Amino acid sequence: MSLETRPKVASTRHAPVRDSVTTINADGSRYFLYPADAPGRFMTMRQQAAYGLIAIYLLLPWIPVNGYPALFLDVAARRFHFLGLTLSAQDTWLLFFGVSGLGFALFFLTALFGRLWCGWACPQTVFLDHVYRRIERWLEGDAPARRALKLAPMSAGKFLRRAAKHALYLLVSLAITHLFLAYFVSIPALWHFMHAAPGEHWGAFLFVFIAAGILYFNFAWFREQLCIVICPYGRLQSALTDDHTLVIGYDACRGEPRGKLRHGGGGLARAGSGEAPASSLAHGELGDCIDCSRCVQVCPTGIDIRHGLQLECIGCAACIDACDEVMAKVKRPAGLIRYDSLAGFGGGITRWLRSRTILYGVLMLVGATVATFAFSTVRPMNFLVYRMTGAAYFVSPAEVRNQFMVRLVNKRTVPATFTLAVAGLPAGVRQTGFGVPVTLEPLGESVSPLILLADRKDYTGPFKFTVLVQDAGRAFTLTREVEFMGPDARLLREEEEEREHEEKTREEKHD
Amino acid sequence: MNPPSSHQPPDDPGIKLREHSYDGIQEYDQRLPNWWLYTLYGAIVFWVVWWFVHMIAGLVPSDGARVDAEMAKIAAVKMASSLDVANDTKFWEMSLNGVFVDAGKQTFNSLCIPCHLPSLRGKSENPTAVGPDLTDTAWLHGGTPKEVYVTVSKGVVAKGMLAWEPVLGQKKTAEVVAYVLSHHQPGEPITVEVAK
Repeated sequence: MSLETRPKVASTRHAPVRDSVTTINADGSRYFLYPADAPGRFMTMRQQAAYGLIAIYLLLPWIPVNGYPALFLDVAARRFHFLGLTLSAQDTWLLFFGVSGLGFALFFLTALFGRLWCGWACPQTVFLDHVYRRIERWLEGDAPARRALKLAPMSAGKFLRRAAKHALYLLVSLAITHLFLAYFVSIPALWHFMHAAPGEHWGAFLFVFIAAGILYFNFAWFREQLCIVICPYGRLQSALTDDHTLVIGYDACRGEPRGKLRHGGGGLARAGSGEAPASSLAHGELGDCIDCSRCVQVCPTGIDIRHGLQLECIGCAACIDACDEVMAKVKRPAGLIRYDSLAGFGGGITRWLRSRTILYGVLMLVGATVATFAFSTVRPMNFLVYRMTGAAYFVSPAEVRNQFMVRLVNKRTVPATFTLAVAGLPAGVRQTGFGVPVTLEPLGESVSPLILLADRKDYTGPFKFTVLVQDAGRAFTLTREVEFMGPDARLLREEEEEREHEEKTREEKHD
Repeated sequence: MNPPSSHQPPDDPGIKLREHSYDGIQEYDQRLPNWWLYTLYGAIVFWVVWWFVHMIAGLVPSDGARVDAEMAKIAAVKMASSLDVANDTKFWEMSLNGVFVDAGKQTFNSLCIPCHLPSLRGKSENPTAVGPDLTDTAWLHGGTPKEVYVTVSKGVVAKGMLAWEPVLGQKKTAEVVAYVLSHHQPGEPITVEVAK
């Protein structure tokens, strides 16, 4: 079919307007979209990106690093493994860097590149566009065929197609959620769960099946409603983008005024559009846009990108591919719809370096530096020194005593031996406990007392000291600074003097 | 060239614009998507039913009752496996049982030797040791097995001895006591001296 005689269903029946959401009808019901195919270079690149991301998602639980799956959030044992780095519950504080680091990176990248995540990396797009829509395309055909199938009366063929499609949808949803569970229990445990009765692990079972149901509902019906109504990231755009952020847009300077292409003569003769009086437009003064509405037909969120940057636009670049294809056919340069900034579309130059990007970039670098430092302090063991329950210190005739408990945690899957030493003690202070190295079983922990005794004669008051734990095999040391608490030295001396005075008077009485 | 600005009447005459102007901004009056509305209505219905079932009809045990039930289960398990810690004879029997005494020795060596020393002789062996001698017949806080158990499980807070039962549990505490008692004989004289 030629461009002119192709049925323009989308552009006449439910043309997008700026004032309402195309997919929500005036009575509140859903207007289900049937986006047309838009092959092109962006579609190819996005597909490659999507398959790469899906491959990572599928393979990560299978790849062992340092004896554990590459990404394994072992909630049951409270150990979290990231590419060989094992974090235990005591390392949860590092989550702060994870979250804030992602936040700063988000701000920085969005300020520069806009909604790149939405169209290229978000699981919603990756799974919907490249898995579920491909199933739909395979079973139900292209957009006009799908629309026709919807309108057709129920028949055996229609039922079978639909049933097969939904069966595949459910299968894919279950696969996704089962694999998601593997990130938390590991692949061997997942395999075991799948063979065991649901009753043995109700929580996991319910989670997987409810999540699969939600995914199925989302990818079969809900689709772009999530991007438009639910997802908060989409809404953050208006705060994070400005006139120099890269967005997908329509070059109105080049494209307007639009006009239908009329075949005749050499090929570039154009007819004016119906509304404008022919006399005000000289020949050849129309813009490049031939109003074919292809960009509207391919849009998965139902907007007309020629209206400008809109909330619904998820940056999937389908309209770019569609328009480029049409421009090639009418022998005009591509890029009528393209990635550019609003300033660029206005005829200016995109300023990549501006106060916003510099600020976000600096924050991100600072955050990255601090995060690197924080993560570098993680060791294959944890240790904690805390005061024993009870009084902070004990005073006896000979000494002042502090009692501590030391907790050693071995995060590795092999036994480990640790020696504990105390440094920074003033004269007259000795330690008991931890005379011999401690051996911990894999993933084991031990709590043992450490007692410090300060001779009263040499006691000068509270002081700080360091506890060092050294790993026998790996040559790393962890230190903790601890405070020895006690009474003011003068109080003890006064007590001594009083006692000596009492003894002297008693002796004198004897004599 | 920028797209036309937005303070014009809506493109589609079917879209209502409210009259009132808030500093030049007028509100649309369009219908929310049905899926959103029905989720909201469903949530309200769910809440009413939930409130009724939980608070009014009491068909489902309240959260407090469920916590109590779980705690009772834990207490029952504890009671079923608890030892009679007021029975001196039982303790003497435990102190003769190699398994009990070995388990107690392991616990003792990991937790008690900084103060009481590996030989259990404490201050007798080294006057600067923190803990008293556990092998002699002089006891500070009572020398019968059940009194020794009370000392270990409740501690002597004023002197710095930790209450060990919350940390170890009843079984391990009893094992440690059995280990200590294995250095004694039933029926030996007990002197209770309270230190100054």
